[in-house]
Amino acid sequence: MSGSMTTAPERGLWLAALVLACLLAGCGTKQVVVESEFPDPVMNPLPLTLGIWYDDDFANHEFFDEASGRAESSWLVNTGQAQVELWHTLLRGMFRQVVFMNGKPGPGQMNPLVDAVLLPSVDELQYAIPAHTNVKVYEIWMRYRFQLVTMGGDPIAEWTMPAYGKTPTAFMQSDEGAVRLAAIVALRDAGAHFATTFTRVPQVEAWLNSLPRAGGQAQVLP
Amino acid sequence: MSLRLLLMGAVLLPWLTGCVNATVDQMVFNSPTAGIGDASVVILGRRHASDYETEPGFISCVGGHIEARDPSIRVIDELEFLNALYPWFEPRTAPLRPSDLEKLFEHRDVAEKFAALQTRYMIWIDGSTVRGDSAGSMTCGIGPGGAGCFGFGTWSDDASYEATIWDISQRAEVGRISATASGQSYMPAVVLPIPIIAPVQGTACDSVGDQLLEFLSHTP
Repeated sequence: MSGSMTTAPERGLWLAALVLACLLAGCGTKQVVVESEFPDPVMNPLPLTLGIWYDDDFANHEFFDEASGRAESSWLVNTGQAQVELWHTLLRGMFRQVVFMNGKPGPGQMNPLVDAVLLPSVDELQYAIPAHTNVKVYEIWMRYRFQLVTMGGDPIAEWTMPAYGKTPTAFMQSDEGAVRLAAIVALRDAGAHFATTFTRVPQVEAWLNSLPRAGGQAQVLP
Repeated sequence: MSLRLLLMGAVLLPWLTGCVNATVDQMVFNSPTAGIGDASVVILGRRHASDYETEPGFISCVGGHIEARDPSIRVIDELEFLNALYPWFEPRTAPLRPSDLEKLFEHRDVAEKFAALQTRYMIWIDGSTVRGDSAGSMTCGIGPGGAGCFGFGTWSDDASYEATIWDISQRAEVGRISATASGQSYMPAVVLPIPIIAPVQGTACDSVGDQLLEFLSHTP
């Protein structure tokens, strides 16, 4: 007999060890990297050149929730890459031209010429899984903060906007897959919410009306 | 002998299913006077409720059921439609009433997309399949000599769906179909668990699909 062969009891022990290892791994940190492609919005672009500045916190946005007990898992949800993908695709479809800034707008900062600069950030992210709520739904809730500023960094408008996504348990096999899908739904919701309400933010509306060329044609129908 | 039994089991297992009861109600206010011709149909799931969502798998099942039985009907894939008309059919922005379509069509780009897709009917399906009561117990063990399960489990599933048909050209609701199905599944286990699953969602899918097919394939 070859020395590398194992007997049936040995194989059973290895199998038991493997199952135990898998069970123990379930108590570690669950990491979710949200990646997705987002569709171009179907809308008449606003006749504006918009600058965008993503700070590092936004472009590499991640959310970490440490387990409160030994029976629970810690969660690390990384949405940065998907955030950039979503907002780039959405804004490119919402405005005539979108330009990435070289630096955060402010006095003395050299940047391309634009009508205004949008600075998005994620104020808060919360998640819920069936183990927390006893409801068979995975949920992601986000609150964005947007700042619309001039090239010199002077504020034009600042507002917050919620976004929500959920996935029933039946759709997915793993917690990670369900949280990832809920995050993608939340990101799509964020895009839909922004696209349909941007021109109705009172400060933005006032700014658009103050532009000499706006004349009503810059309006996105609600 | 045991090999023959295993082979018989493998052949018979897929045929072991639980019983399902299904009920279908249909209300058609305005039947089509002809088949839909070159036009297409889109079937969308309602996802507004906080505690459930219409399963994307159910939507594609109904679409597949219709296309398989009448290949002349073109059913647009749900995700393809949602992406083609983003952001106007997301849960937050989707029209809730046929009259809301009027406002949506004020967007020139949206109207052009609909024209390109040649969508005649929009069918909204709202509902879900939920796991009901369960009973029994099963113990599984693993040891150096092998692994196995022993016990018996049973559970019920209930499906409830409502399909609402909108005629896009008339901006009107032209029909409503509801289907409910319930069934009991069993899983006895003697070493190996033997699932006897009641195809509750599949039965509901067939019921809704058959009724929609009758509506869409209507010819005078």
